[in-house]
Amino acid sequence: MTNQQETMNEELYNKNFWYADWSFPIFVALLSAGIFAGTHMYFQYHIGAFNDVAIVAMLEAGIQGAGYGAAAAFGASFLFARILEGSLVGILDIGGSLQTGIGIGVPALLLGAGITAPVESFALSLITGGLLGIIIGYVIIGIRKFTVGQSNSTFGADIMMGAGNASGRFLGPLIVISAASASIPIGVGSIIGAAIFYAWKKPVAGGAILGAMLLGAFFPISLD
Amino acid sequence: MEFIEIVIKSIIIGALVGFGVGAGAARMFHAPKVQGMGAFRTLGELNACAGDAASHFSFGLGFFFNAWASAVGAGAFTQDVDHRIIPNWAAAVLMRKGKRPEDTLHNPKKMAIAGAIIGVLVVTFLNSTASAIPESLQAIAIKVLVPAANLLINPIMPVIFWLAALDAGKRAGLWGTIFGGAAHLIMGNAVPGIVLGILIGKGVDDSGWSKVTKTLLITVILLFVLSAFFRGFDINMMRGFNLEAPSWLIDLHKMIGFEVK
Repeated sequence: MTNQQETMNEELYNKNFWYADWSFPIFVALLSAGIFAGTHMYFQYHIGAFNDVAIVAMLEAGIQGAGYGAAAAFGASFLFARILEGSLVGILDIGGSLQTGIGIGVPALLLGAGITAPVESFALSLITGGLLGIIIGYVIIGIRKFTVGQSNSTFGADIMMGAGNASGRFLGPLIVISAASASIPIGVGSIIGAAIFYAWKKPVAGGAILGAMLLGAFFPISLD
Repeated sequence: MEFIEIVIKSIIIGALVGFGVGAGAARMFHAPKVQGMGAFRTLGELNACAGDAASHFSFGLGFFFNAWASAVGAGAFTQDVDHRIIPNWAAAVLMRKGKRPEDTLHNPKKMAIAGAIIGVLVVTFLNSTASAIPESLQAIAIKVLVPAANLLINPIMPVIFWLAALDAGKRAGLWGTIFGGAAHLIMGNAVPGIVLGILIGKGVDDSGWSKVTKTLLITVILLFVLSAFFRGFDINMMRGFNLEAPSWLIDLHKMIGFEVK
């Protein structure tokens, strides 16, 4: 992908820690330990989940008692698809595999099964994330060994990416609608926020939430 | 006390994530020979900044404000912290004084260290400012957000993914429809089924019924059968068609520990 490939010899790619196949699981483990611990932060303090609002909200729906099924199925299927794709194309998409799969899908699976310890404890969350990362890293390197050169399909990843981005766009208007159904001041706030963010060419969803919160601070609604 | 706890945890998380993202991003430049991690769009954006430190910094900054709003409002960092902010700011730090991207951005060791430092700063900043927001305000955000997200999960995302599958060709559309419908019946949401349907359909489009695509189809069917069993869908389906569920099947459910009424 760069002209560097010619100048750098094969030896470097095979032996050097920073480039080798065998070190890949270590990098995945570190990253996924951090991401899983980020979900621990969200579970504990309601901050710090490494994902988009729309996807974190699926987990939140589960925490609020609406069932973890959607988050678990969504996250797990993304993880599955991205591991396959990642090993075939040489770039693992961390958004689908780690941030959504490990950060949302696996916690939802665990919480749905009533296993709360790995998400509740910071140390356990780091260990769980790290172990899962090592497994994923080795699976990818393993698939690579068997399939590289056999297949040059991206398995429709571009289509899923496009659909994922298209559904993200729905969130802005949906938040305004949902805010407008919550109460009149909160609705007005989210409309103004969304309009300002649109004018600034920023994602509408962010403005809608901030606007709703701002007016909600002055005109609170009951939260039961 | 809780604040200090959040800061310490944030430093650890930021360092881990930043290290992984930095090394993974630099390795992407050596793909497909070296297995990288990040995203195709991250690779494209890093290239688009053409090794200019100021471009990398301002590109990251644009997403940083968005991530900040999202972190304060809903406790969600957005995926851009890992995809855009850390890799671009790490590149900007390394490339100040006009160093060449080949010696900086493409070097996993340098990017991992710079990424870890940026990660600590970004995660700690986002978490400590977000935790300063009163809980009543966060509650409003959630009250607004959860109904919106529920609508998004069902029916909006299934419909968008489904239409994308139908537009992606005959095979993707067919498998997407079959597995999407089955996924909604069994799991309560069609998206995972449609995603797997597209995966199989496009895989066969591109490389035929190879060993990889056959294994994929069998794995997916197995996944559906197993999750149908563990959710008691098999028995519910028989009853739905006014059939008597055989007692050995009910016993089997009982034996594995997933009793059905």
